[in-house]
Amino acid sequence: MPKGATATARAVETLPEEQDLEPRLYECCILYPNGLSQKDEQELLNGIEELFSEVGAKLVAKDLWGRRGLAYKIKGATEGRFVVYHYEIDPARVQEIDHALRIQKNALRHLLVKPPKHYTIVKFSELYEKWLKEREAAEEARVQEREEKRMEEITRKEKLKVQRAEKKKVVEVEKKPLKGEELTEQIEKLIADESIENL
Amino acid sequence: MTHLVQQRRPDLRAKKCVFCFKDVRYIDYKDYPTIRSFIDYFGNIRKRYYTGTCLKHQKMLKSAIELARFMGMLAYRK
Repeated sequence: MPKGATATARAVETLPEEQDLEPRLYECCILYPNGLSQKDEQELLNGIEELFSEVGAKLVAKDLWGRRGLAYKIKGATEGRFVVYHYEIDPARVQEIDHALRIQKNALRHLLVKPPKHYTIVKFSELYEKWLKEREAAEEARVQEREEKRMEEITRKEKLKVQRAEKKKVVEVEKKPLKGEELTEQIEKLIADESIENL
Repeated sequence: MTHLVQQRRPDLRAKKCVFCFKDVRYIDYKDYPTIRSFIDYFGNIRKRYYTGTCLKHQKMLKSAIELARFMGMLAYRK
């Protein structure tokens, strides 16, 4: 197995020198495929929890993640579910758990990590859902904004059209040819005007 | 000429470390939304030069990404 496995091994390797240590916090993340039946899933979780209780570990936190798409296929599975446990385990016995998890049925991947000293346990399942919702909301807002812009553009164009049409009408009204009688009347007026005649 | 001046690229070196700003002490491999932005389309880790991350946090980020990849949350190669 690639790099993750080596990280686990590194966490376990240092143990023989540090025996008689107090139990410390370990983080265990397990990945199993999404399509499991409810009975299988329950069996798997119970099995894992039993493993820990055999060693005398104390459960600190448990986080069940919902369905998640995997970045690449693992044993044919494209979707998986995660469980994250936080246990206080005797460091000398971590290796047993690691070996047992390796042959656990239905578990695709497992990871045993020592979190750093100042680590505070965060429930990432909630955070992830929140993030998904935020992303969706942002996407919706973007779509709405685009729609609004489009509508604005349309109304602006229509307004312009109306304005242009009105202008044309005004021009047409102004350029309307005079009727025959009116014309003759005006011409007669011009002819009768003496000031023009003098010029 | 004025057009050319407007199109000049920003100085990449002027970026600040995001994690230092928030005083982050540990980058979690389970924190997908945060890690995601430090990975490019092909699944490679973005260079420090482009993201502005400091060396300390880049090393933390690297180990977090490697663990996330192992657990199937991130792709090794796309």
